Amino acid sequence: MIISVILIPFIAGILVPAIPFKKRWQKEIFLETAVVLNSILVWYLLLHHSDSTFLLAHFTGNLNISFRVDGMSMVFAGLVSALWPFATLYAFEYMTKEDHENVFFLFYTLTYGVTLGIALAANLLTMYFFYELLTLVTVPLVMHTLTREAVLASRKYLYYSLGGAAFAFLGLIMVIVYGSTTDFILGGVLDPAKIAGKTNVLLLIYVMAFMGFGVKAAVCPFNSWLPQAGVAPTPVTALLHAVAVVKSGAFAIIRLTYYSFGTDFLKGTWAQDVVMAVVMFTIVYGCSRAVKETHIKRRLAYSTISNLSYILFGAVIMTPLGLVGALSHLVFHAVMKISSFFCAGAVMHQTDRHYVHELNGLGYKMPCVFGIFTVSALALMGVPGLAGFVSKWNLAGAAVESGNPLAWGGIACLLVSALLTAIYMLTIVVRAFFPGKGFDYSSVSDARDPNWKMLLPLFVFTVFIILFGVYSQPLVDFFMSVAAGAV
Amino acid sequence: MYLILSSIFFPIIAGVFLLIRYRTPLSGENRNADRKTLLLLTGSFLVITAALVAAALLTAKEGFTLFYLTKNLPIFFQIDNIGTLFSLLAVIVLPCAGFFSFEYMKHEEREGRYYGFYLLVFGILNALCFAGNLITFYLFFELLTLSSMPLVLHNGSKEAVMAGLKYLFYSLCGAYAALFGIYFLYRNCDSLTFTTEGALRASAIAGQGGFLMVVAFIMLLGFGVKAGMFPMHAWLPTAHPVAPAPASAVLSAVIVKAGVLAIIRVLGMFGTDFLRGTWVQNTWLCLTLITVFMGSLLAYREPVLKKRLAYSTVSQLSYILFGLAVMQETALTGALLHVLAHGFVKAALFLCAGAIIYRTEKTRVEEMRGIGKEMPFTMWCFTIASLGLIGIPPTGGFLSKWYLALGSLKSGISVFDVLGPVILLVSALLTAGYLLPLTIHGFFPGADYDYKSLQKEEPCKLMTIPILVLTILSVLIGLFPDIIIHLIHMAVVG
Amino acid sequence: MPFICNFPFFSILLSLFSGTVCSMLPAKAAKVVNRAVILAVGLMSAVLLLYLLSTGESFVYWMGHFPAPWGNEIRAGVLEAGMALFFCIIMYLSMAGGAHKLPGEVVESKHNLYYILVNLLLCSLLALVYTNDMFTAYVFVEINTISACGLIMIRQVGRTIEAAVRYMIMSLLGSGLLLFGLCIMYDLTGHLLMSNIKESVGLLIATGEYQIPLIVSVALMCIGLCIKSALFPFHAWLPDAYGYSTVSSAAILSSLVSKGYIFLLIKIIYRVIGFDIFNSTRIIDVLFIFGLMGMIFGSLSAIKENDIRRMIAFSSVAQIGYIYMGFGMGTQAGMVASIFHILSHAATKSLLFVAAIGLTDVSGGSRKFADLTGAAYRNKWAGAAFTVGSLSMVGIPLFSGFISKLLFAQAAVQVEGKMLASLIVLGISTVLNAVYFMKTVIRIYTAAPDAPYTGITFRNMKAYAVVLVCFMVLNVILGVSSQPIVDIIAQGLAMFA
Repeated sequence: MIISVILIPFIAGILVPAIPFKKRWQKEIFLETAVVLNSILVWYLLLHHSDSTFLLAHFTGNLNISFRVDGMSMVFAGLVSALWPFATLYAFEYMTKEDHENVFFLFYTLTYGVTLGIALAANLLTMYFFYELLTLVTVPLVMHTLTREAVLASRKYLYYSLGGAAFAFLGLIMVIVYGSTTDFILGGVLDPAKIAGKTNVLLLIYVMAFMGFGVKAAVCPFNSWLPQAGVAPTPVTALLHAVAVVKSGAFAIIRLTYYSFGTDFLKGTWAQDVVMAVVMFTIVYGCSRAVKETHIKRRLAYSTISNLSYILFGAVIMTPLGLVGALSHLVFHAVMKISSFFCAGAVMHQTDRHYVHELNGLGYKMPCVFGIFTVSALALMGVPGLAGFVSKWNLAGAAVESGNPLAWGGIACLLVSALLTAIYMLTIVVRAFFPGKGFDYSSVSDARDPNWKMLLPLFVFTVFIILFGVYSQPLVDFFMSVAAGAV
Repeated sequence: MYLILSSIFFPIIAGVFLLIRYRTPLSGENRNADRKTLLLLTGSFLVITAALVAAALLTAKEGFTLFYLTKNLPIFFQIDNIGTLFSLLAVIVLPCAGFFSFEYMKHEEREGRYYGFYLLVFGILNALCFAGNLITFYLFFELLTLSSMPLVLHNGSKEAVMAGLKYLFYSLCGAYAALFGIYFLYRNCDSLTFTTEGALRASAIAGQGGFLMVVAFIMLLGFGVKAGMFPMHAWLPTAHPVAPAPASAVLSAVIVKAGVLAIIRVLGMFGTDFLRGTWVQNTWLCLTLITVFMGSLLAYREPVLKKRLAYSTVSQLSYILFGLAVMQETALTGALLHVLAHGFVKAALFLCAGAIIYRTEKTRVEEMRGIGKEMPFTMWCFTIASLGLIGIPPTGGFLSKWYLALGSLKSGISVFDVLGPVILLVSALLTAGYLLPLTIHGFFPGADYDYKSLQKEEPCKLMTIPILVLTILSVLIGLFPDIIIHLIHMAVVG
Repeated sequence: MPFICNFPFFSILLSLFSGTVCSMLPAKAAKVVNRAVILAVGLMSAVLLLYLLSTGESFVYWMGHFPAPWGNEIRAGVLEAGMALFFCIIMYLSMAGGAHKLPGEVVESKHNLYYILVNLLLCSLLALVYTNDMFTAYVFVEINTISACGLIMIRQVGRTIEAAVRYMIMSLLGSGLLLFGLCIMYDLTGHLLMSNIKESVGLLIATGEYQIPLIVSVALMCIGLCIKSALFPFHAWLPDAYGYSTVSSAAILSSLVSKGYIFLLIKIIYRVIGFDIFNSTRIIDVLFIFGLMGMIFGSLSAIKENDIRRMIAFSSVAQIGYIYMGFGMGTQAGMVASIFHILSHAATKSLLFVAAIGLTDVSGGSRKFADLTGAAYRNKWAGAAFTVGSLSMVGIPLFSGFISKLLFAQAAVQVEGKMLASLIVLGISTVLNAVYFMKTVIRIYTAAPDAPYTGITFRNMKAYAVVLVCFMVLNVILGVSSQPIVDIIAQGLAMFA
């Protein structure tokens, strides 16, 4: 059962180029059915999960490839499987203007399976395995357009990701050697008897592994691949570079911190200070770069960099509440950012405009898209009543409660970043809706809202942004129980 | 409950309706007919909202929770005396300025958008006044910034858009600084429901009192942005002049008061006992006095009328903040009184300035020689309002400043108890210096004034009546202060 | 003593004689003989391995039944048999993978010469693996050098002569040093048989006599073998030698020849000097440091390289560095990791060389990266194989490289003083590997619409494609079910003692 949700996307993906579809809509229906079915299966699995571990294969020594559903995997797998069908729907429409879509959908669907593999992995090795695989299956997506720019971007992406994994690997080794098991157990698996006297080395390796996984989560100074990877088609940038891939990095860090090294071991050490400082810097850095950037998608990518570090900030507070904050931002940011990316993609698809200064006056011609964009912008800023506020509230609450003065400084970073978010998001909104006196409206007369395949996902995400904003309690309660290890 | 809710959400829904219905500019043959319906709609919405607020103020006494944002974060509404006071101001100024706009905005594009956001602001202001806890307040505080920004950049010129963004970013900066504090208050209080006695847990004060003072100071600074307190006042003189005059009136008279209301609430949460005599109070007093003086001085040097009024607002708001910073009952009474007095006066002044611009397109003070001859009614109102701002009896301004000075002297804070009144006095002189020349040159243009070319430029009733109403009110507070002072007393004492 | 015990002797002899036979046969027949010999030796090694696994003991085989010290001994344990089997597999695949290129690379008249050299090479490798006698080892080291030189030189174009001369000089220097070491050792102990030397060395250590000559002797032997196996900084001969020889030669040279010397070194460490004694000398620290430096500098040189074959060659320098790093750790685990890496690297590197030729073939024979753009679309099988090889080199799970990385890292953690250095260098080296291998992979998958080259289909390269598939499967087998192999290695090392 648990392995089938990983395999179905693989099979479906491989079948796309293999089956000679006569018409495009047949392919669309085939893929969408497969993805939706898989998502339903995932949700069924999550809701009826048992504690048992599914052992796929022995690897070497006492290492094995196995899968299990626990609280964290429920959050991430649930998120990914909820977003994927919508993103696929959106991709159908978007890809009408792009070439060789068979290859695209092949890897796009493969990525679904791999991401689920990361989410459902029961031990560090399995996660590491899928983590590397994720890099490989997403490279063709970045390379998709095969322009020089895309090739350079994918090269960079590969170097960064594989390099990061190389250092994350060291963390894996530490857990293998000094842990009692590599399985994920809330509270960590390090064996106190084995680690005696080796604390500093372990902390050093933790920092390295953090930065290693942090490459995918675009922690500064390893973030420059993400804006460059924005050359990929928008469904990729939106789903992978705002959710699946980058969140895998954050997810991996949470696994490493809470489930492998254990917060008891890390909390209050210099390692915590170091990673927190890095994360805080990234929060502000990402936003500042976003303000400077004029390409829409790259601007959103920088925004992602900053927001990912929100998640990591929650994670490195290393308290259950911090984990709650991290998880809520993991989920909420996914919805917000995918929504704003899809808006940007819709604009690019409909009008072929890529830069912020070209957006003047489009708000009146594409009211739905820009209305939704405004909502997501406000949510990202953290306006109360929308999803972003709740997660920031949880993060800041955790930081306050932790009593760690550095974390208090982190709150300040969050707020500075919120202000910068307002600057880079609202300038877009203002441009679109208030083009200025004497604006020539005929210059935008060709623009109009996209069709339902693009709009439906957007509307759904917006509904969720608002819903999470006003009624997030059940979800937050669930995160609480995850953080407490009750799920 | 339903009255409160409807007084908040009716204008919001109405505003959204207008925004959607009139999303394209009025144009073509039906422009006049369309415009008539728009004005009719807006007018009736304004009146209905005012009526709803009045009804809410009179009847609803029970607080209620609308829903929970997350556990322990209720969206909670309640009408208390301070809220009532601010709500009174809003409910009078907004319809007045709204009706004024009907004429003023005649030649502007996209009136529908303007009225839509205007109504949104109205609803959100009501929500701010009725908010029963800090998180509800914060929610609407942010929304207020967002929905009032389009009013600022309404005319769409590059300058206006930049000013609008400046306003937005300053305000958000302040709001986020405040949010920083809210996070800490949330952890260190049992609930975020407003109180006047301080809600911090004793253990928290004992444990991290020093840090909490920093937090309090950051919150004061943060909300102080909206109230134009030095050093974050710069948005005010940029945003006011570019906005349409009625919008400036609302901004200056009501919206900036949201910052004041916020600070009152925050003070209540921390408790004056916690802050009295600390470095927080001293620094804050210092900042307010600097702002008072600096605002007046800048206004005195400013040639553009609306900008001059904006600087004046900076200065006058810090009168109020000074009253709060003294943390003394009488001064607080003065401050709250000044909220109303300044609100009416400044709205009247801005509307007068708007009327002048509308009729003569003169914006600079030196161009306005003889304006009193052209628009005698408007300038009479302007003069009376000016007197109110300077603080000449029997206007409301006199009374409020009296209380402020008295409270300051009574407070017993070293240095500031005397320094405060002195600076207030100097600033009053400067106020006279920057407002009265208009009257003087307006009515006595000098011997070389060309009386032959004089034309009556008096605006129509839609403009004069709101000005008149506000001017009269500003005098009435001074003449019959008892009701208001009773209300304020209730608010202060509880 | 059962018949199977003759197999090591048979396989050495078979390959030796087949070499001689080949000189008289026409090219085609020589090819058949060569393949058959490799297969036969492989089969025998496999049977021997199974036998040894079932008995769980190693045996010593007296050549001609003369007991030591007059006779010449062969010793076979699990490790030796396994290594022989593996060498045969790689050699067979490399030969098969390069076969279609041979007519273009070597003049027709020299084909049987080529097969002679290959057979001799196999023979010497087997001898290095099986021998229990230091002098025999030395003799076959020389034979190995000569045949390797021949393999480089036989393609008489461009820089091969220069490369061969270079290789010759460096190799002879290496074997000279080995010989020196051997002489001193013989002087000290009076023995040439490994087990006898070990006894004497044990005595010398125990009595504390002749410490310095002993160390010098060990050091000389080590350096000699290091030069021959191209440990940084003695790698200057390598890029040209691997880069310009024929495909099969390059694959064999990089994956087998240097590994033969390394295996000899392992034997010397275990069987001649004794593992503990060797570890107590500072030599392992030197090896460790050179290993680490090799990992970094080899990769850096590879990054700078603009020629795909030379890039792969430089990558070998880095991989040899891994192996010596494992030696330098001075633990059983490090040794196991190194031996596993010998296998893993041999499998991967020959795959890469063979795949690279497929790519250059469809790019007009050019090895420059600029011309390789889009090569993977023109030759899909080679592209896929090259990708697999690269991923393995970078250490992606499922492929053999990951397991060696895992073993190395696990071994490193257990060595207190060397842990951080090795872990960090391991990380950096992975990054560097990723840089040059992934750069190439992306390059070959970048479409080049205006490239003038035509592609090749499966139909035209069946044999080649099958070889590539075998290589990939081998790689994945090493990567997925590594546990039995690691167990065999550990068991084999235990038999050494």
